[in-house]
Amino acid sequence: MSNGTITGAGNPGRTIDTVRAGLDRRYRAERRFRIYGLSAIVLGLLFVSILFITIIGNGYPAFQQTYVKLDIDFDPESLGIGDQRSNAALSGANYQALVRNALKVRFPDVTGRSDRRALNSLISSGASYQLRDAVLDDPTIIGTRRSVWVPADDDVDQLVKGHMDRAAAEGDRRLKDNQLAWLDQLQADGAIEKRFNTTFFTAGDSREPELAGIRGALMGSVFTLIVTLALSFPIGVATAVYLEEFAPRNRWTDLIEVNINNLAAVPSIVFGLLGLAVFINFFGLPRSAPLVGGLVLTLMTLPTIIIASRAALKSVPPSIRDAALGVGASRVQAVTHHILPLAMPGMLTGAIIGMAQALGESAPLLMIGMVAFIVDVPGGFTDPSTVLPVQIYLWADSPERGFVERTSAAIMVLLGFLIVMNALAVLLRKRFERRW
Amino acid sequence: MDTVSVENEVIMADDGIVKPVAGGRATIDRDNRETVGDVTAKNPRMRCREVSVFYGEKQAIHDVSLDVGSNEVIALIGPSGCGKSTFLRCLNRMNDTIDGCRVIGDISLDGDSIFDTKMDVVQLRAQVGMVFQKPNPFPKSIFENVAYGPRIHGLTRDKTELEAVVHTSLDRAGLLDEVKDRLGEPGTGLSGGQQQRLCIARAIAVNPEVILMDEPCSALDPIATARIEELIDELREQYAIAIVTHSMQQAARVSQRTAYFHLGDLIEIGETNQVFTNPHHQLTEDYITGRFG
Ligand SMILES: Nc1ncnc2c1ncn2[C@@H]1O[C@H](COP(=O)(O)OP(=O)(O)O)[C@@H](O)[C@H]1O
Ligand SMILES: [Mg+2]
Repeated sequence: MSNGTITGAGNPGRTIDTVRAGLDRRYRAERRFRIYGLSAIVLGLLFVSILFITIIGNGYPAFQQTYVKLDIDFDPESLGIGDQRSNAALSGANYQALVRNALKVRFPDVTGRSDRRALNSLISSGASYQLRDAVLDDPTIIGTRRSVWVPADDDVDQLVKGHMDRAAAEGDRRLKDNQLAWLDQLQADGAIEKRFNTTFFTAGDSREPELAGIRGALMGSVFTLIVTLALSFPIGVATAVYLEEFAPRNRWTDLIEVNINNLAAVPSIVFGLLGLAVFINFFGLPRSAPLVGGLVLTLMTLPTIIIASRAALKSVPPSIRDAALGVGASRVQAVTHHILPLAMPGMLTGAIIGMAQALGESAPLLMIGMVAFIVDVPGGFTDPSTVLPVQIYLWADSPERGFVERTSAAIMVLLGFLIVMNALAVLLRKRFERRW
Repeated sequence: MDTVSVENEVIMADDGIVKPVAGGRATIDRDNRETVGDVTAKNPRMRCREVSVFYGEKQAIHDVSLDVGSNEVIALIGPSGCGKSTFLRCLNRMNDTIDGCRVIGDISLDGDSIFDTKMDVVQLRAQVGMVFQKPNPFPKSIFENVAYGPRIHGLTRDKTELEAVVHTSLDRAGLLDEVKDRLGEPGTGLSGGQQQRLCIARAIAVNPEVILMDEPCSALDPIATARIEELIDELREQYAIAIVTHSMQQAARVSQRTAYFHLGDLIEIGETNQVFTNPHHQLTEDYITGRFG
């Protein structure tokens, strides 16, 4: 104590020196802290950009599809319909034959049976659907001859996109030497072209990558989320309002509160099992339907929305409640006129977090059959369908090279959906936000 | 209740500042918790008899009896935590909103018990308005703030009538000149003093009979405080007013009667002049001479 380190009131000259000596250390600590924060952000951004770069890099080729130009002769004889022009006849006609004939005319020297088959396999089986739609659209084209761009097979698509190594041994390639030669001829004629892949946005799932689209899963997700939002938001907000504003504080409400908090931590697959047992087996609702998916996701989202809504209600200053009651508003009026509007931004944030969770959820939906292979785009809440994350899982599991890029493209669609939903929520929140 | 007669000496300087009497003339001992003074008012609007309030097990108010008279301002003073706000909140049953709060005793408004099943709490609060310690305008426009009460009670038939009510209320609250060009702007954008006058305008817009004010000036600067005090004096012509204040000067300036609370007991009540200049109870004297508080 005698070496002059004592500072304080009795030693006024020293205090400032001690503080000054400590300042350097304090500044260093602050700088260090800032660097920690900055590096955390940089690291986070780095991972996000790696994620985006790989997904976009893998996925963007899926937005293009290779098409082949064929001179199609819409010959009623080849179609096998003679003079019939009824819709039923036109739908059932043999459009495959038109494609085969066109190829035969284009490559007259290909004669062998297996060579023919190899040639025909260059064109996607979707070509005949395209021709059928064209004919149904305008039956007068029967008997005429036109140039039509039809989708190429997945293997051709991969070759054109540069994903196939021509130098590899023939046995290691999906396309053989003769097929490459025919493609080169078509290429030289300018009859091969990459175009925007509208199929991806208009079709449902398919076993053929070039025919597979995201629309089925997208609509499935939309219908499922509509059910989820329509149920979980009102129920969640009503629960939160009751618990926060009207319920007495007693052992029962404490028990309910604990249970809600625990429900938020239940693994989602358990909700899937519950949905299977209750909604499908007991109530007999249809399998694979967005309605059931929405119900299951409602169970999963409710705790999130309730907890966020209660926090939002708690954050409304009690003075606003007093003010409303003080001029003679009833409790319900105070809630609906003043407290709910003020809590709405927070509730919307909770809802959007819940909906984002629900959008990305696949495990509980597997349990209720939304993992089935479904080609048709669902048109309602009870049509069998799948959802985006499940579709991503299904495609990621498929061996064809074409599904690799479609998996990434589907992830991009999912992220886009999420961004649109978030933007909507931010807009809504802006409208509700008020100062006080 | 003991009524002790003491010669009524007024010691108030011209500037309105109370000069407490030194030397201890009070005759009632500190340990006596009976109310000293006359609890009745000439024209009582509200009568409270033997009111006790409990927060759970804890008793916050002990058997308080007190009248709030027409055209008078009664000031409730006392050290903080003595139950002034709690008592005030009994008068419009705002304590109902607090979990675990229990009020017993009789309180009547114009002769009707406010706890009667016939008396609706919404109607009671329309008749007994309240202004809070912290200005609490709704986060809505100035117009909407004042119009809210008349609107929910259906007091006006059409828009012009509502506008008239809003204008008169703002005028009586002394705020109209400052805000008449910006009634559409948020009430929360006003200064603290203006906000408090807006809250007063909101309270009088439903045409109450009694106005309760809980430390209405504690968050305001002296100039805003002076305006509110002037306003209270004007409002007295029409309403019965009960005001809680921690400022003895304010109590002396605005009130006709003063009630001194101590740890949940009503210790002394009487003419403001008398209470400040010639307190009968030792606790009252201790408080107004600044020995504690
Ligand atoms: N909501 C409440 N719950 C429990 N006790 C309360 C509550 N409000 C006030 N009290 C208690 O009641 C007593 C009186 O409080 P209050 O009326 O606010 O005093 P004052 O307004 O005179 O300062 C205090 O002891 C306080 O702790
Ligand atoms: Mg108080």
